[in-house]
Amino acid sequence: MKRRLFKFPWRTARDIRADVDDELRFHIEERTRELEAAGAAPDAARAAALREFGDVDDARRYITDLDRGTESHTRRKDYFGELRQDLTYALRKLKSSPAFTITAIVTLALGIGANAAIFSVVNGVLLRQLPFPHAEQLLKVYSANRTAGNLHASVSPLDLDDWRAQRTALTDIGGFWYSDGQSGIDLTGDGDPQRLSAVYVTPGFFTTLAVGATEGRLPREDELVRGGNDKVVVLSYGFWQRQYGSSRSVIGTHITLADAPYQVIGVMPRGFEYPSERVDVYLPYSTITDDMIPRIRPVRILDAVARMRPGMSVAAANAELNTIAARLAAQYPVDAAWGETTVVPLRDDITGNVRTALLVLLGAVAFVLVMGCVNVASLLLARSSVREREIAVRAALGAGRGRIIRQLLTESIVLALAGGVAGIVVARAGVGALLALSAGQLPRGSDVHIDGAVLLFALALSLVTGLLFGVVPAIQASRGALQGTLREAGRGVAGGARRLRSALVIAEVALAVVLVVGAGLMTRSFMELMKVDPGFRPDHLIAVNFTISTTRRPKDWQQYYHAVIDRLRAVPGVNSVGATKDAPFRGNGERDSFGPPGYVVKAGEDPPTARTMHVSDGYFQTIGARIIGGREFAATDRAGGPNLILVNEAFAKRWFPGQNAVGRSIEMAPTAIAGKGAPAQIIGVVGDIRQTAMDEAARETIYENNMYNGRVKVALVARTAGEPLAMARKLREAIWSVDKEQPITSIETFDDVVSGSMARPRLLTVLLGSFGALGLILGALGIYGVLAYLVNERQREIGVRIALGAPASSVLWMFVGRGLALTAAGLAIGLGGALMLTRLMSGVLYGVKATDPLTFAGVGAILLAVAALASWLPARRAAHVDPVVALRSD
Amino acid sequence: MASLPVVKGTLDVLVLRALQWAPMHGFEITSWLEERSANALEVEDSAVYQALYRMEERELIAAEWGVTENQRQARYYKITPQGRAHLKAQTAQWLRYSETVTTILTAAPKSA
Repeated sequence: MKRRLFKFPWRTARDIRADVDDELRFHIEERTRELEAAGAAPDAARAAALREFGDVDDARRYITDLDRGTESHTRRKDYFGELRQDLTYALRKLKSSPAFTITAIVTLALGIGANAAIFSVVNGVLLRQLPFPHAEQLLKVYSANRTAGNLHASVSPLDLDDWRAQRTALTDIGGFWYSDGQSGIDLTGDGDPQRLSAVYVTPGFFTTLAVGATEGRLPREDELVRGGNDKVVVLSYGFWQRQYGSSRSVIGTHITLADAPYQVIGVMPRGFEYPSERVDVYLPYSTITDDMIPRIRPVRILDAVARMRPGMSVAAANAELNTIAARLAAQYPVDAAWGETTVVPLRDDITGNVRTALLVLLGAVAFVLVMGCVNVASLLLARSSVREREIAVRAALGAGRGRIIRQLLTESIVLALAGGVAGIVVARAGVGALLALSAGQLPRGSDVHIDGAVLLFALALSLVTGLLFGVVPAIQASRGALQGTLREAGRGVAGGARRLRSALVIAEVALAVVLVVGAGLMTRSFMELMKVDPGFRPDHLIAVNFTISTTRRPKDWQQYYHAVIDRLRAVPGVNSVGATKDAPFRGNGERDSFGPPGYVVKAGEDPPTARTMHVSDGYFQTIGARIIGGREFAATDRAGGPNLILVNEAFAKRWFPGQNAVGRSIEMAPTAIAGKGAPAQIIGVVGDIRQTAMDEAARETIYENNMYNGRVKVALVARTAGEPLAMARKLREAIWSVDKEQPITSIETFDDVVSGSMARPRLLTVLLGSFGALGLILGALGIYGVLAYLVNERQREIGVRIALGAPASSVLWMFVGRGLALTAAGLAIGLGGALMLTRLMSGVLYGVKATDPLTFAGVGAILLAVAALASWLPARRAAHVDPVVALRSD
Repeated sequence: MASLPVVKGTLDVLVLRALQWAPMHGFEITSWLEERSANALEVEDSAVYQALYRMEERELIAAEWGVTENQRQARYYKITPQGRAHLKAQTAQWLRYSETVTTILTAAPKSA
């Protein structure tokens, strides 16, 4: 019954029923009593009262329902009323201590902002769907040769046609040939001659991706096959904008590509950037003639994409393709070893190699935020001991514990939300900086921006953050308020809060250790990478890339090639010139089969393969490669003579171990039909050159003479006496002096090329390094804060000690020791955690193990040093406490 | 005289009127209505309670448990500012309405 004396904020459904019953009973009883007083018999009186009342059950039902509505309405109103009260109060409190508020908000803004920035990258690159309808149905398909250990090979156009024809459950499958800087076509007759970046597509490419043209139309099936009307071109949106100012009238007109008229039939939509954002035009693969790329099964050159039926599993798709591939392997001897396929969801295929890096970053940045939270929690704890009186007063005035916790939490959430808003500003700047730093190293970089998902993420992060750093101090403070009396509150809580703050510092040190270990490993890895000898000297080296048109020079293109090289050699300021098909980091050459001396291909067996590069005379001297034995090609080694080749060190070691490879002969391109290949004599061994990337060791490589077996794609390399970029114009003019119609793809210095190839590890190192530094600073601040607070709190005790003759050094050590003890505890936990967590980043490390003892030891030493400094500063203050002042205070 | 049925919608106004000067519990309100109407209105007590809860939900009145003169727990209703405004408006409307109806019903027939 006592319950009714107060208006309790929350009534349960049972309370409501009881209330209604009580009220109705009261009415009936009062009326009965009245009637009795008027002389009615008790039974008759009650019956009359009930009759007058009407249908009691119906009334009860009706008003109970109504009361429930009223109740929830009241609850909501009370809640919002209190919330407004809490908010006003929180804002007033935060405004009254600006130093605390600003520190907290800046800490949180950095934490939340860094997280939102990294998340927006992860969201754009890893999480967001690819810009294709039902992108989850899309797969990347590879040919697989298990005996050769090659499970991710490109696909032969003939195999692909068969896959498409024999598929039953797959919706569609198509392929394309695209190679950055290689699959291109010359556009002439429309301003300056230029080399366009082209994708050559097979039937099924557009239908698999299921994206239509934004203007015009896409090619029909009969326009994508040989013998069909396949001189059609689809423009990328970017190229359409750039070249034709987005004019619709270009649709239907003819443009000159590789000296032949092509009809422009359509434009791809904006944002369609597959397989690359650098694509200018989409052309039928059928326009590639056999003398450019032979259309035979062993030539695996296409990338294949497939679309699954809705609800189909990747395994089922793989099974279907495996069946077809096995059938083809049985049918065609050249395909014998290629009876399998590998399928990968398209999204994983696109983002695969940055996935680990991004997840490592996301993990690291989350650690930074947690440390920020711990720091703010620590600040709040210190503050709550100052605010104990205020909280105690509120408790004394009747605020319940829940109410006080809610008030304090409101304050921390307001703080976190302010941090979140500021964090979005930080994130905007961060995303810009990230994209600039990543310099084209991110797939889908154009999908990275701050959008609704990122804002939602930041908001959720702020709320969670607010709870995370607010809840412990709030509970702590409210406990204190209810335990102690107004006057004594101070002492009682201090012990608990101190223990809590020590625990927070330990946690913080542990987190910092993990961050710094991560940063340390990445730095070590980057240093290893910097130490790598790429096998050539990138300084004073410049490459001019172009492709010779065989339509314009069907016969004399190799003479032209050498005429250009000779002309460049005559340019003043150029020390030497050579040429290759693929410059280092700008292409992987080709993969050809060969046979070691005496090798004969057995039926059903594939001969060994090696990377094959096509280079000119003077190439190795120009790029500064080492010739280990023999010599490099000379201008006198021309077509018509014996086939001379060079091999790299890795090749010589593998196939001629302990012997001199120079002077030996190998068989080039042996086939099952001929048995032996064409003999080629090794005239020199060149030191290993990193061809693909800095962090990828050289593969066994054969260098063929471009004069003997030429390629129309040319990277002319020149070593200059002075600044190489300054020579760019002279080199271009020298080429144009031989043929003023020669389109030039690009000119770049090798310093830029090498630097670009280091962009991703550099980005990771910079980011993890800054997160590590941030972690170190936050950790140091945490230790400093706790000790400074301790010194303050124990002024009296220190005064007494000093007054009793304790030397300053013992006081100093008392506090430094305490700081180091906390650090040691955190260090132990952190090193253990780092040992487990850094394994996850082994994928992004080069030349250093995730458990590198040197890094771990170094981090331990650094943290102890930082902790010693952070403890020493407040401890020194303690040691200089004037006992007279200290004892007089408080 | 047989008692009159309450015209739809007027019970709320009558209850508000009852609460105009002082808070009352449900039983007091029913007694007040009987007394003022000299038993002329045919009102079931249950209808009064339904009106009370309805108006509580609309925040025209507010309820609070209290103690009666003879020390019993009772739910007391008091009128809110919105309730007062509602009472004033509804009273004015009722008066105009009944006046109009009266005028029509009592006017002498006009020749066509």
